Amino acid sequence: MTDRQTLLRDLIVLLGLIGWALVLPHYGSEFAVSMALTCLMYVALSSSWGLFCGSTRYLSLATSAFFGIGAYTTAIGLGQLAWIEVITLGSAVAALLAIVMGAAVLHLRGTYFAVLTFGMAELIRHAISYFEKSVSGTVGRVLTVVPEMNVLYMTVLSIAVVALVLSILIRRTRFGLALLGIGADEQRAQTLGVNTPLIKVLGFAITAAVAGAVGAAMAVRWTYIDPHTAFNPFIGFQTVLIALIGGATTLWGPLIAAIVFSVLAETLRLQAPQIYMMSLGLLLILSVLYLPGGLASMRWETFRDWYRAAKAWLKERRYELSGDKERDKQRARRRRSV
Amino acid sequence: MSFSAWLELLASGLITGGIYALVALGLNLQYGLMRILNIAHGEFLMLGAYLTWVAVTQWGLPAPLMLPVSFGVLMLLGFVIHWFCFRRLSVTSPNLDIFEARGLMLAFGLMFLVQNYASWMWGGELRGYDFLAEPVVIGTSQFAGNKLLIFTLALAFSLGLIAMLRMTLLGKAVRALMQSPVGAQLVGINTRRLHPIMFGIGMGLSGLAGCLLSMAYTISPAMGEPYTVTALIVITLGGFGSMTGALFGGLFLGVIEAIGMHFTNPSLKALLSYAVFIAILLLRPKGLFKG
Amino acid sequence: MRFGGLTAVDQVSVDFYAGELVGIIGPNGAGKTTFFNTISGVLRPTSGRLLLAGKNLTGQRPHRYAQQGLARTFQTPRVFTDISVLSNIEFGLKFAGRRRKRYWFWGDETSVPWALRDAGGILSLIGLAQVAQLPAAAITPSQQRLLEIGMALATRPKMLLLDEVAAGLTEGELEEMARLITRLRDELDLVVVWIEHAVGTLLRYVDRVIVLHQGQKIADGKPIDIIHDRVVIEAYLGDEVLELGQDLR
Repeated sequence: MTDRQTLLRDLIVLLGLIGWALVLPHYGSEFAVSMALTCLMYVALSSSWGLFCGSTRYLSLATSAFFGIGAYTTAIGLGQLAWIEVITLGSAVAALLAIVMGAAVLHLRGTYFAVLTFGMAELIRHAISYFEKSVSGTVGRVLTVVPEMNVLYMTVLSIAVVALVLSILIRRTRFGLALLGIGADEQRAQTLGVNTPLIKVLGFAITAAVAGAVGAAMAVRWTYIDPHTAFNPFIGFQTVLIALIGGATTLWGPLIAAIVFSVLAETLRLQAPQIYMMSLGLLLILSVLYLPGGLASMRWETFRDWYRAAKAWLKERRYELSGDKERDKQRARRRRSV
Repeated sequence: MSFSAWLELLASGLITGGIYALVALGLNLQYGLMRILNIAHGEFLMLGAYLTWVAVTQWGLPAPLMLPVSFGVLMLLGFVIHWFCFRRLSVTSPNLDIFEARGLMLAFGLMFLVQNYASWMWGGELRGYDFLAEPVVIGTSQFAGNKLLIFTLALAFSLGLIAMLRMTLLGKAVRALMQSPVGAQLVGINTRRLHPIMFGIGMGLSGLAGCLLSMAYTISPAMGEPYTVTALIVITLGGFGSMTGALFGGLFLGVIEAIGMHFTNPSLKALLSYAVFIAILLLRPKGLFKG
Repeated sequence: MRFGGLTAVDQVSVDFYAGELVGIIGPNGAGKTTFFNTISGVLRPTSGRLLLAGKNLTGQRPHRYAQQGLARTFQTPRVFTDISVLSNIEFGLKFAGRRRKRYWFWGDETSVPWALRDAGGILSLIGLAQVAQLPAAAITPSQQRLLEIGMALATRPKMLLLDEVAAGLTEGELEEMARLITRLRDELDLVVVWIEHAVGTLLRYVDRVIVLHQGQKIADGKPIDIIHDRVVIEAYLGDEVLELGQDLR
C-alpha cells in the first residue's frame, strides 16, 4: 500500500472510531460509558507514550508524574479558571516538567533512563505529598465545581483523537523519522544530521503534554484527589504495559490493547482485581518472549511461525527421548576415533 | 543526644542496612553478570517472607529452619524463571541494549504477576508472627533480639557471598564472566549452566532476606517494592556490578535513612532516598565507590 | 585529546585543502580513530580548535558537524538494519543532506553535485543499485561498508572521513574501493581523509599522507617522501616498504 493509501486508511479508521465513540453515550449504559472513558484515557496515554518511547526506545516510566501534575492543576485551578483553560494549563505544566526532566536525563540510555524516570516520578509524588502536608496543611483536595459527565467524556475523547492524529501525522514527517533513527542507532543518526537532544526533549514533551491533559481531565472523575491517587504509579505502569503489548512502535497497537484491557479491567475489577493484574503481567511476559512487536505486529505468518516452531520443538523432544540422539552421538564418536 | 541513643540509632540504621545489602547483592549479581535488571526482585523477597510465615503459623515449623528452605525454594524458582524466560530472551534479542530493555519489561511483568498472586492468595492485610521479640541489652542500649539476629545473619550471608566470589573457583568464574562474557566462554566457563545458577542464587538471597524480615516485621503483598527500589539505589551508590560496593552502599544507606528519619520528618524518608538516587545517577552514574 | 591521564592525540595540527585525498596511517594505538572521533564531533577535544571552511566547530555536537558538511563512516558498518538500503540513504538526504530548493518548495536543490542528486544516484555511484530494496541487514558486510559510504555521501559533505573502509577486503576489492574513493574525490570535489592499515594500496592513491605514532604526528607529506622518511620507517613502515617506491608516482 502506498503512503497515501495508508494515510487514507488511517484517517478512515479514525473517523469510524470517533463516530462510534460519539454515539456510545446516547445508547450505552452508564457502565459502558465509564468503561469507554477509561479506555479513551489509556488510548491517549499509550498512543502518545508509544509515539516517543516506542520509536526512540527510551522507556519512560514518568507518565504518572505528568498525569498527576495535570490532575493537581485541575484541583488547584478549577475554581478560578474555565474548564478549557485548566486543561491547557495542566498540559503546559506537564510539558514544562518534561522539558526540565528531559534536559537532565535524556542523555542516559536504556535501563538507566527507565529507572531514573521512575525515580523522578516517585520523587515528585513524595515531594507534593510532603508539600501538601506541611505547607498547604491538607492531605488531599476536594473538587467542588465539577463539569458534567458529558463534558468530561467529550474532552477525553478529543484528547485521545488529538493523540491519535499526532501519531498518524508525526510518523510521516521528518520528526518521526528522526525519532526512529534515534531508536535504531542514536550516534549514527547524529552523524547524519539529526539534532538528537532537541528531538528527544520535544518528543518527551509531547508525551507529557498529552498525559498532563488527560490527568487534568480525569481529575474530576474522582472528586477527591490526593497525591497517592493522582500520582499512582500504576497508571504509568499500565500505560507502558498496554503500549508494549499492543506494539509500541505501531499506530493502532496501543489502541487495540487499550480496548482489550479496558474491557478486561472492568469485567474483572469487581470480582478479582488481582487476577486482572496477574493476567496483565503474564501477558506482558508472553508478549516480550513471543511477540516482541506487540499485538499489532501479528500477521498470519506469526501463527504459522509459532506452529512451525512448536512442531520443531516436539520433534526435537521426540528425538531426544526415544534415545535416537544418544545413538547418533555414539556413532559420531566412534567414527571420529576410527 | 546521649551516646547510647546515638548507638541505638546507628545500630537500627545498620540493621536495615544489612537487609538492604543482602537484597542489593542478589540484584547486583543478576545485573552485573547477566545484565538483567530484575525489578521484580522485591517480590521474591516478599514470597520468601510469606513462605516463612505460612510455615511458622500453619505448620508450626521453627523460623530459623526456614532460612535454608526459603533460600532453596527461591533459588529453584529463579532457576526455572531464568530457564524459561530469560534464556529465550538472550536467544531472540539481536543486541545487548534490546536484551536489557526486554529483560526489564519481563521483570516488570513478573512483578505484576507475583505481587498480585500473593495479594490474591493471602489477602492484602498485614500479617506477622512473633519470634525472639524480647529485648537484648548490650551496655546501656537496648535492641530487639530478632533485629539483632537479622543483622548478624544478613551480614554473615553477605560476607559469605563475597568470600565465595573471591575465593572459590565458581566465584572466579562468575567474576570472569562479569568482566568479559566472550572471554570467559573461550576459556571454558560454561555460561549455559552458570547463568541460571547465579540467577537462582540471586533470587535465593532475596528469599532469604524475606525470611529474615518476616521474623521481626509485619509482611504484606506490597512490601517488596520499596526494597526493590532501595536495592536499586544501593547498587547505584555502590556501582553496578561491584559486590563490596553493594554491601557498603546498603549499610551506608541504612544509616543515612535512620539519621534522616530521626532528625527530619519521617515522611521525608522516601523523598530523601529518591533525591539521593537521582543525584547519584545524574552526577556519578558509575557509583560512589567505583573509580 | 586527553582521556584522564592518557593523552591519546597530542598536539596534532593538520590542514586539509579542498579536492585532496589524504591518508592517515600509523600503528595500532597511534590515535587515528580518536583523531577521527575528535574531528567529527563524537568526542569533545580537551584542547585545540576545529575550523571547517572558516567556521569554528569546536565542542559542537555531531549533528552540527554533519550539517556543516563533515561526514564520516564507522569502522564497523553501522547501518539501520531494519529498513531498506534505499531508505538508509534517504535518511541522510532528509537531514544533513537537505539543501534549499531553487524556488523555495519546488525545483532542484541548489548547489548539489549531479551524482548526489537523489538516493538512486548515490546508489549507482557506490554500486549498490541492484540491492536497493533489500533490508540493510540482508546485504553482505562489504556491501554494508559501501552503504556506509553512501549514507555519508547522502549528507552532501564537503569533507568525508573514511575509517578503515578497506579492512577485511580482498586484493581485488581493495583496488575497487580505492578507485571508488578517488572517483569520489574527483567527481564531487571533496576532501577525503582515509585511515587505513592497507598501507600499500593507500600510498598508491593518495595525494598526501599523515603518519601518526603514539598520538603524535611524525610525518606529513607526499607518499614518495614519506616512505623514505627515516622516522616513519623506524616507527611503522619498515625497510621492506621501500620497494613501493617503484610503484609510486
